Amino acid sequence: MFAPSKLTQASRRQLALLQAARRWESTSGTKAPPAGGHLPSIATSAFLRQTRDSSLRTPGLRWADEDHAGPPSNALGGRETRKMNLYQAVRDAMSIALTKDDSAIVFGEDVAFGGVFRCTMGLAEEFGRERVFNTPLTEQGIAGFGIGVASMGQTAIAEIQFADYIYPAFDQLVNEAAKFRFRSGGQYSAGGLTVRCPTMSVGHGGLYHSQSPEGYFMGAAGLKLVIPRSPIQAKGLLLSAIRDPNPVIFMEPKILYRSSVEQVPIDDFEIPLGRAETLTQGSDLTLLTWGTPIYHCETALHMLANPPAPVAKHVPESLRKAKIELIDLRTILPWDVETVAESVNRTGRLVIVHEASKTGGVGGEISAEIQKRCFLKLDAPVKRVTGWDTPVPMQYEKFYIPDALRILDAMVETLSY
Amino acid sequence: MLRAALLRSHIRKQCRSYVRPTSQVSAEPYGHLPTSQSPITPRMNFINSVTPDGTQIPTYRVLDGVGQLLDGAELPELDEAFARKIYENMVQLPIVDNLMNNVQRQGKISFYMTAHGEEATMIGSAAALANDDEILGQYREMGTLLWRGFGLDNVMAQCFGNHQDTSTKGKQMPVHFSSKEYHFHTISSPLATQVPQAAGVGYAIKRDPNRRGKNCAAVYFGEGAASEGDFHAGMLLASTIPSPTLFIARNNGFAISTPASEQYHGDGIAARGPGYGIDTLRVDGNDVLAVLSGIREARRRCIEQGRGVLVEAMSYRVGHHSTSDDSFAYRPRQEVEDRKRIDNPIARYRKFLEARKWWDEEEEEELKDRLKKDVMKAFKKHETMQRHEVKEMFEDVYGGEMPWNIKEQREELKALLKKYGKDWEPWRSELKKHKGEGKELLEDKSS
Ligand SMILES: Cc1ncc(C[n+]2csc(CCOP(=O)(O)OP(=O)(O)O)c2C)c(N)n1
Ligand SMILES: [Mg+2]
Repeated sequence: MFAPSKLTQASRRQLALLQAARRWESTSGTKAPPAGGHLPSIATSAFLRQTRDSSLRTPGLRWADEDHAGPPSNALGGRETRKMNLYQAVRDAMSIALTKDDSAIVFGEDVAFGGVFRCTMGLAEEFGRERVFNTPLTEQGIAGFGIGVASMGQTAIAEIQFADYIYPAFDQLVNEAAKFRFRSGGQYSAGGLTVRCPTMSVGHGGLYHSQSPEGYFMGAAGLKLVIPRSPIQAKGLLLSAIRDPNPVIFMEPKILYRSSVEQVPIDDFEIPLGRAETLTQGSDLTLLTWGTPIYHCETALHMLANPPAPVAKHVPESLRKAKIELIDLRTILPWDVETVAESVNRTGRLVIVHEASKTGGVGGEISAEIQKRCFLKLDAPVKRVTGWDTPVPMQYEKFYIPDALRILDAMVETLSY
Repeated sequence: MLRAALLRSHIRKQCRSYVRPTSQVSAEPYGHLPTSQSPITPRMNFINSVTPDGTQIPTYRVLDGVGQLLDGAELPELDEAFARKIYENMVQLPIVDNLMNNVQRQGKISFYMTAHGEEATMIGSAAALANDDEILGQYREMGTLLWRGFGLDNVMAQCFGNHQDTSTKGKQMPVHFSSKEYHFHTISSPLATQVPQAAGVGYAIKRDPNRRGKNCAAVYFGEGAASEGDFHAGMLLASTIPSPTLFIARNNGFAISTPASEQYHGDGIAARGPGYGIDTLRVDGNDVLAVLSGIREARRRCIEQGRGVLVEAMSYRVGHHSTSDDSFAYRPRQEVEDRKRIDNPIARYRKFLEARKWWDEEEEEELKDRLKKDVMKAFKKHETMQRHEVKEMFEDVYGGEMPWNIKEQREELKALLKKYGKDWEPWRSELKKHKGEGKELLEDKSS
């Protein structure tokens, strides 16, 4: 591509648009929502599995209560589900971990009465205060303590009350947990440690109750970092995280604790770490995100296919049939480059959405790797829709956090590049 | 054997030579370590107390439960006008708190924190400080600002985050005040970060010829926050790199749901003071005169010695932790009711004032009436006021020139608002909440 192109940039863009438009005409297009165009919200999201059958058929779900010697079975008979929101699913996962693993303990600030987000409700009563307990108010202490427990081969499930308050633990997590295995020649490891924390914005949290600090951990080789989007995902990914041989930071989008509800399998199951999930298949643009913005992306997809009257004029007819591939990254570190690169090589366009600021955000790392792997296939620059490079400003949050409209605009711009 | 005995006596002699030629000689028959004053003893003696007899650190009190002077207690210097000012401020606090708590329940503000039960600690300490001592608060210390004359307008503006909010320009959650004018440093939600900062503030005061010997840094924190590493760092710094830093621990028994008994196993926060070599006092935080007196003396020592001093004020958090909390999920309602009834800091002080004929029923009615009206008036004024201009969001990230990335992002938002601001309902209605409704950004030609 460094070879000087004969085409001017403008004409190249036009050509790309033409090619793209042709491609879309050949596809059937996304199904339009009912007349009146109700936009999906979290409550009505098609990504939330509301029936037993769809729940049990969650892609990648692996039952963890079967004989590992035999081949994994897909038998769904006898499997039950229960309606749970995200905090109940997180609680359910911890309850299973505590039941099956005698060494497992759950601890953190205010966890004994159930935690400020209710994720540990009833666990202290069920498993006793030796296994589920309040710690004094010290995040560095919580992380260090958890590393110590894990270094003895036991299972430590720690809660940091808000992701915004994980920084006092930064040294323990980045310098200790992440490096334990490496620096001891593989003798020691903090693999038994899982650190859970509520993350992302709720609309009125301001600087210290809205942060998405996942980017700060991207350079901490040795750690894994997971962000689930729904109750089923939370349960399966958390059980994987707890059992993973590496220390895992597990960030739970706090606005989803109550608002996302699914039928969740009640048995012990895992969803693998390190694997993204493709939520809608498409051939024209890859939309990549994780956590809360999944649902803004879903809304944006509907707006693109069937734009509400007031914004319709900004969405060219030719783009409305575009097929968008929406990917939930799920594991942020190490991220699933294979799935993302494969997708972008097919679509030629990538839009990344995250709530954290742009500079130093995870989107930058992904963009760099994707432009390297997909350079010749890219029809448009990788676009990032993110929070601005300011702290999260309370009274301005609606103009700060990426919403469906900003995602829509980014898709339109990228599709018509 | 002989050699060993000789060696022992030699060492003993050597050690003795370190003993100061005072009466200590007899108290230290074996001398002391060469590098400290720690006396050598042949008795193995574990310690787990900072008091010689192993009892808990006592709590300093001036007024008993019914507002009478405790036997042997000394009244702090106090004239009628000052005494009444203290009372009026104590009464005002729950009036503001009750209203704002209700306003939050009605959804008009997103969050609030009351100081119910800690009125004496807040106002007594504020009254003991000079108004230009630097305060570094945790978040529950609005009372100290009101004492200094910050005013209800500023309180309302901050809690509503409207365009008159100079504390944070609408950027922080309610009760995160800051005021350079009133020497009240910017509140941050992350706990205990202010504690080592206070040691630095104290050090800066010490280095400033205009303030050295006149001011101190007064830092407030809860008994929960005192578990953070930052607390220990701050105490250590203010004693080792001496600075006039006054540590005010508000021990209200709870950190959200966690009772103080699960926060520490030792004798509260006070026991830690001597560990860092700083003068320490525990006071009854529900006795405003004990707080006044205790903080005054602590402040005097702090400034005179130029070193950290610690005061632990014991009280009880009568309110919920915040509007996001329902404390009856972890403590019995009756316990709270009992504490409110048996040990109300405002009632206790009122009895004292009434006994001196400095206060009566009529004045009580009048005061409450007036305060309620004032609070209501300020609330009404600020309730519907617009927020700061949207453009303000990008300001104050950096001082000096705005970096390119922020400039470009401001332009990006500008373009988005231009394109969709009128058409997209969620943005249109949000813009209306801001002064200028986004126009200042759209018409901005600066870039
Ligand atoms: C570093 C950090 N961790 C956790 C929190 C969440 N949090 C906010 S207030 C609080 C309890 C503080 O209790 P205490 O210090 O006793 O003060 P009080 O609320 O009783 O006045 C907690 C855990 C926080 N704000 N910052
Ligand atoms: Mg407390």
